[in-house]
Amino acid sequence: MIRVNGKKYSWYEGMTIKDLLNNFNKSHLYAVVRINDKHISRPYFEKTLIPDNSEVFLIPMIAGG
Amino acid sequence: MAEYKMESLKTFNYDRPVIEKGYANQTLCIDISDFVISVKPVTEKMKNVFIGGKGFDLWLLWNAVNSTTKWSDPENAICIASGPMGGTPVYPGSGKSIVTTISPLTGSVIDSNVGGYFGPYLKFSGFDALEVTGKSLKDVVIFIDGIDEKVQIFKASGLPDDSYTLSAILTKYFANGKPRNISVVSTGPGAKNTRMGCLNFTWYDLKRKRARYKQAGRGGIGGVFADKGIKAIVARWDTVTTKTNNPANANTLKEVGRKHSREIVELDPKQNQMSQIGTTHLVHIMNDFDLLPTHNFQYGQHSEADNIGQEVFRRIFDPGYDGCWMGCTLACSHGVKDFVPLTGPYKGIKVFVDGPEYETIAGCGSNLGIFDPHTIIEMNFYCDTYGLDTISVGTSTAFAMECFEMGLINESHTHGMNLSFGNRLAALEVVHQMARGEGFGQIIGRGVREMKIIFSRDYGADPGLMQDIGMEAKGLEFSEYMTKESLAQQGGYGLALKGPQHDEAWLIFLDMVHNFMPTFEQKAEALHWFPMFRTWFGLCGLCKLPWNDVVPEDNKETPEPAKVMKHVEWYADYYTAVTGRQTTSDGLIRMSEAVYNFQRIFNLKMGFGKREHDDIPYRAVGPVKTVEYESRAERYDKQLVEKHNVDITGMTTEEKIALLRKSREKLYEKLKDAVYKRRGWTNNGIPTIETVNRLGIDFPEVLELLRAHGVES
Repeated sequence: MIRVNGKKYSWYEGMTIKDLLNNFNKSHLYAVVRINDKHISRPYFEKTLIPDNSEVFLIPMIAGG
Repeated sequence: MAEYKMESLKTFNYDRPVIEKGYANQTLCIDISDFVISVKPVTEKMKNVFIGGKGFDLWLLWNAVNSTTKWSDPENAICIASGPMGGTPVYPGSGKSIVTTISPLTGSVIDSNVGGYFGPYLKFSGFDALEVTGKSLKDVVIFIDGIDEKVQIFKASGLPDDSYTLSAILTKYFANGKPRNISVVSTGPGAKNTRMGCLNFTWYDLKRKRARYKQAGRGGIGGVFADKGIKAIVARWDTVTTKTNNPANANTLKEVGRKHSREIVELDPKQNQMSQIGTTHLVHIMNDFDLLPTHNFQYGQHSEADNIGQEVFRRIFDPGYDGCWMGCTLACSHGVKDFVPLTGPYKGIKVFVDGPEYETIAGCGSNLGIFDPHTIIEMNFYCDTYGLDTISVGTSTAFAMECFEMGLINESHTHGMNLSFGNRLAALEVVHQMARGEGFGQIIGRGVREMKIIFSRDYGADPGLMQDIGMEAKGLEFSEYMTKESLAQQGGYGLALKGPQHDEAWLIFLDMVHNFMPTFEQKAEALHWFPMFRTWFGLCGLCKLPWNDVVPEDNKETPEPAKVMKHVEWYADYYTAVTGRQTTSDGLIRMSEAVYNFQRIFNLKMGFGKREHDDIPYRAVGPVKTVEYESRAERYDKQLVEKHNVDITGMTTEEKIALLRKSREKLYEKLKDAVYKRRGWTNNGIPTIETVNRLGIDFPEVLELLRAHGVES
């Protein structure tokens, strides 16, 4: 089980960020995902595994500067 | 510590006006040549056209200078203003000041926004803006005392030069036991000896019991301040509540302020955690997207970037509330406690360092090939203490380092200093030399534009190559984002009024990562709307971070997620609640358009502000050297084949660079055309008569200036 933006989601072994985002509408707007305190950027979505019990935050990242 | 002495030279008593709907309705003018202090009324027309903040600053500065005024001329003014919403404690990010002057780096108008308590305290003391002209032969301290309703000028002797100790002393001297009532504006010795001096604005940290600092960094305003003989400007004010600004509708203000505050409290921990780590999260993200400048903007990525990223600074920052204005829930102004510098006058002494923020980490870190957080913190500390802009220091030093590594300059020019990328001690020594006005640091302190002239004229360096790799435009050093793969951000920098600073248009993610603006027309529209809306914050005394650094959870379902329209509408409500002037989200853009176009015309008045002045160095557009191209050969080769229909078989890297350059430079010129058209400017980048008429800035001298440049209706 993981939490995504505070809501519970089922987890499976080998789940990547890309797999997770496939469940969301307009997932192209998420350029950065935070897993616990670590930011992961889109170039690494496909190869980053989400550990069980993670707190995941989907970050729109339209700001900066 | 040496004994200091403060001798009152002039006292000006005044009756403090009641603040009405966010305005004091008067400005304070001080000519320090002969200590003449006066008060000017703020007219309804000023409020209608210029709103406040930067708008008021520009109007005062426009009337103070003429077209031949240089930065060091007595008539050049330093103008500081907050804005009608400045000083509101219930709405996050409402304590900003804007400073304008004629810049030593650009020769034209510069503006720099800054946190700290000064702007609000100035307004509550009875003045929407401060205008300081003249030059004093002796060091003076200006004291604006809103509590006792007097302005005093002191002759100061024996005070320390550096901002760190000076601000602490003056806070104590004027506080009358209440240091939170004081905000000090000061600079340091680096401002006297370079063209990139900054101003430090303080806010008092009750928990840590010390004056903290924010910087008006860009464009060398600190140099003007020091050249005028101003040691410091101090404002004193008492308790601040929502009522202090006397808003038109306090209930609506509280309601909208609480909504935005609550949202930040709820969402910032889920999003970028700026209340814990400030802007340091950007280091890692920029690096991942090949946007973190390294080695003088040659590359956008480095394997050691994690050493200077958020995970490191999360451990280093002193935890606690770090709001540079009262009640701000974003509170991103973090600092490092008990830092012990290894070099310089504070060597071995524990100090508190305000920062670093992303720009300093990238400018004084990755762009110099330095990936050691402690060196960056030490550079941050000394830049602030000496009154130096970390962005210009970083970008200028990066340029000198690349010239050194390429053999364009050598140790005979640098006084024996090895300026290789990654040389931490050399980078720190450059900063110390800037402060002392000595050695090669003094040359670097003149900025990239002047270094190019000196290296070519005196050392025989190739001027064409330096033009390509010297990261300045309009005379101002680039802030710290790689723009090679984002045409919109090239425009965001190149078409910015004051020079390449990201506060006007930060479009790099929207363009490159999200592809929100694939067509020229969409890029031009973005280069209209975003600079206008970002300008608006500077008119009102606001910080832009609460607008789009925390985003509503349903934002992605909106038609234009990049604009975060829910917040824009809150800002319209906020403006109406304070000023009583009804507005909408479109109304905010119209307010900015008038000031924005006026600033463009101000550039024209000073001999700039035309198409040719919007040029940028090729390093900002594409790869200059073969190593740059070859490091991302797959990307560039693909673009040549697929985007530009070039058969690259058998081509050398040099040939491919030349072809890519031709295409990209053409695109940038095409972008200028589209943006000028959208902004209502001529093809030469000058606002048309119709535009100035529409915006109500058709003053006789504006029309005369436009006609003198061939612009007719």
